[in-house]
Amino acid sequence: MSLAIELLVGFSFLVSCQNQPRVSPPPPVDRHTPVHYIGRHGLVVAANPLAVEAGLDMLKSGGNAVDAAVATAFALNAAEPFASGIGGGGFMVLYLAKSRQVAVIDYREKAPAGAWPTMFKEKGEAEDHWRTATGLAVAVPGAPAGWALALRRYGTRSLAQAAQRAIQIAEQGFPVSQTFSDINKDEYERLALNLEEGSCYLKDGFPYEPGEDYRNPDLARTFRVLAEKGIEEFYRGDIARRIVAAVQAKQGILTLEDLAAYEAEEVSPLRGTYKNFALVTAPPPASGGLHLLQLLRIAENWPLRGWGHNSSLYIHHLSEALRFIFADRERYLGDPHFIAVPVEKLLSREYAASIASAIRPDRALGSYPPGEFDNESDRRSNTTHLCVIDREGNIVSLTQSINDFFGTGIVPEGTGFLLNNQMADFSSSPDSLNAPAPGHRPVSSMAPLILFRDGKPFLVLGSPGGTRIFSSLAQIILNITEFRMSLDEAIEAPRFFSYSVGGQPRPIALESRIAEATVDELRRLGHEVRVREAYDKYFGGAQGILVWRDRKIILGAADSRRDGWGAGY
Amino acid sequence: MKKLLNAFPIPILLTLSPILIHATMEETSLFEQPLLITSAGQNAEVQLAAVLAKRAGLNYRLEKLATGVDLENMKTLGLVLGASMKGLGAAGLDIDKERERVRGLTAEAGKKGIPILCLHLGGESRRGQQTDDLMAEFLPLAKMAIVVKSGNADGFFTRICREKNIPLVEVEKAADALEPLRKAFR
Repeated sequence: MSLAIELLVGFSFLVSCQNQPRVSPPPPVDRHTPVHYIGRHGLVVAANPLAVEAGLDMLKSGGNAVDAAVATAFALNAAEPFASGIGGGGFMVLYLAKSRQVAVIDYREKAPAGAWPTMFKEKGEAEDHWRTATGLAVAVPGAPAGWALALRRYGTRSLAQAAQRAIQIAEQGFPVSQTFSDINKDEYERLALNLEEGSCYLKDGFPYEPGEDYRNPDLARTFRVLAEKGIEEFYRGDIARRIVAAVQAKQGILTLEDLAAYEAEEVSPLRGTYKNFALVTAPPPASGGLHLLQLLRIAENWPLRGWGHNSSLYIHHLSEALRFIFADRERYLGDPHFIAVPVEKLLSREYAASIASAIRPDRALGSYPPGEFDNESDRRSNTTHLCVIDREGNIVSLTQSINDFFGTGIVPEGTGFLLNNQMADFSSSPDSLNAPAPGHRPVSSMAPLILFRDGKPFLVLGSPGGTRIFSSLAQIILNITEFRMSLDEAIEAPRFFSYSVGGQPRPIALESRIAEATVDELRRLGHEVRVREAYDKYFGGAQGILVWRDRKIILGAADSRRDGWGAGY
Repeated sequence: MKKLLNAFPIPILLTLSPILIHATMEETSLFEQPLLITSAGQNAEVQLAAVLAKRAGLNYRLEKLATGVDLENMKTLGLVLGASMKGLGAAGLDIDKERERVRGLTAEAGKKGIPILCLHLGGESRRGQQTDDLMAEFLPLAKMAIVVKSGNADGFFTRICREKNIPLVEVEKAADALEPLRKAFR
């Protein structure tokens, strides 16, 4: 049976949005039931239903995929404020159908000019606090510049038009979801430390309970200002002054000059292949795509289907491979504006085969050295992802973040948006290529991607989840290509993750839906195993679009680990 | 009501009716200050408990990794129940090490005659196997428990509290625990 028919037969519940009024489909009884969103002309998937509607409205009003992606990104700031926004940054991968070109917009945050390699290490035991909860943790935000650049070069709408639905969402508010409430509670300590009294990010000083109304009129006002005056106001105007004041009040070093100097940029995509698929993704400092390709290259050497999905052999081999990859990440990754990252060598089939052959089937190795390459010149993150396809076949795969949920918890006075703690993505080792340094972009695990088959877009995919991003995306891709799952089955399937630090293995973390016998076998192979929740957002919250039969069928899927949603028309 | 309470020992009354449990709490403060607050499971709600204690005007200290030595000069141990992988990871602990820490702490509290107040403030979404295992071990040691109602939808807390004659106070949301917490202390 062809993959196409298998995928269609495997769907458990289909939602048709074709020629229907703009009404969100009813949720399934069990939110984890695989659900697919169908479109004929266009489709949006994102981590929040309100944001999806913003993007879909843009498509239906004639906007293209880039317009819709920015509208969705704006709306995510309003509806999922803890995971991304104008206080953060990200990466956008675009496919332009007419020219068949791929572009990448890099709007990753940058370290302030005053950054230095030991700025966190010298804090001693308080290092983690300084890296995550103080003004020193704030890197120069890139999102407004990135969105504006994307619209200017590839969109058909203005920033003001893209911001409209987000303004409404922030002004009118919405009842808080279980996900929002849980994350609000998780991050309460940092919020209680840094938020001003009366902040909308807490309800009378306590975390929101599900169903309680949340509104952010300050954010709506900020969006209106951006709509009216453009991003200059953010980087050089009143908003800039408020950002600097808030950061410096919390012992930060960000200056007006840092903000004024920030530029998003268009860069060449990172390209690779996996079997008969071609993949494009964001290049370093986004490391996720690079490591995803490494993992897939290594996996090409193994009989994955024969081992079985999420069997002990499968999890063991991929976990060992991940540990090698993290050793490479520690040694070789940094900002390519300043250091050379040996991308080709890391992605070579010979290197992948050498790792594959080093991994033993009968036990964990226990030690994972990095590859030895010349360097010529050479943890944590929570993020959000969205995918859009429009009626012309233009595609956007966008991942953006303020790093930890709720970032630093610092809100510039009267602005309503949260400032990132992206400086925590720099290495704590001052000798690392990813040590803090002036103007450097910290290494990111983000991996927004587009997979092509026979030269045509096949799968658009991405996920939040910090260092778990590329492991989760690789598993989703393998679930589809090797194990013939439907898109949402692939997204909802149980996940696992492992890594190494200093060449030493860390435990395998896995969702509790993985069979107990498999867990026992992994322990017998010498792994330490940590069992997490059944649907644990630790492993990300992926969103994807599958493009079928020359766009005659477009299927979307979103992760129930967060508030993922989709809609097409 | 006062005559009834004088006539019958409190444990018998507490087993008879949840209404009586609440009535008892209105009239009898079970705990003295100062209060040492810690978690069983490194959950995020321990911070909430500290804010509640502050707003209740209590003399308290928050120690996320409290051990027996921290009970010095304390009159009550506040144990906020709930396992958090994130919190455990941040503390450099696994669930077994955390369980050992809390065992040591509660054992020391027992030796010193320091009563335990248990709280579960995260509601239904903060239940799970690891949390339930921890709670099954430590909740029975409590002199009183305050829980968010949705976390007791399956009667988990009711069952244990009834069995062990522990006064149980249910609140709709964490912020509502303020008054029961204030009233629980002399």
